Amino acid sequence: MSDASGKVICDAGPLIHLDELDSVHLLNDFAEILVPVQVWNEVAFHRPNVFDNPTVTFLKTEVTISPRARFQALIRSLALDTGEQAALTMMQENPDAIFLTDDAAARLAAISLGYQVHGSIGILIRAIRRQQKNKEEVLDILRSIPDRSTLHIRPALLNEVIARVESHTID
Amino acid sequence: MTTKELQTQVVQTEVPVGLLNQAQDLIEAGWFRNLDELFLDALRRFLESHRGELMEEFIRQDVEWGLVGNE
Repeated sequence: MSDASGKVICDAGPLIHLDELDSVHLLNDFAEILVPVQVWNEVAFHRPNVFDNPTVTFLKTEVTISPRARFQALIRSLALDTGEQAALTMMQENPDAIFLTDDAAARLAAISLGYQVHGSIGILIRAIRRQQKNKEEVLDILRSIPDRSTLHIRPALLNEVIARVESHTID
Repeated sequence: MTTKELQTQVVQTEVPVGLLNQAQDLIEAGWFRNLDELFLDALRRFLESHRGELMEEFIRQDVEWGLVGNE
């Protein structure tokens, strides 16, 4: 595996979904994993053991949600929850970080603010490129999503994703 | 009758106890009149911001980033 990548700021979805798939350790490829306290509390409520993973260091971070008018208008128009608001506030202070979310509205907000944003599927597939897992291991995880995870993905689209990964040639 | 009545249908679903407790806390605090109103508002907001084509586009972007992204 090559050197650790940059910083990520987490929304609740990827932490929950990756944990459901026994894959939260894939995040240890990032140099810093920042979790706003609002997200931390939400995840701990649904998946109390996520933050006990000994292979991953999560940085629980206090965040005061940005009062800026443009930001407030955006989060209200997209009805973002407090965790998403906190994570996006952290992105304002860390614009080079990657925002991790599986929520379409939060992702839309992040894109409109100019941030790089990805979700659980991206982290899983990235594990091949980063040599954290081989292609077959990742394909097995992708195939198990409907049974093991609350990550919502249309079955036909998941099959398409699997086919795309299967056909990908690793350099 | 000049006003078209809102058609509704009763659905039954299972809700995790933790989420239900959170919902009931909001009702007891006076934010919603009852569970029906809360669930309707939550569902409406979710559907407004989660368009299928948008979610699909994001997944496709993630696949390409995962496979060939440049970090």
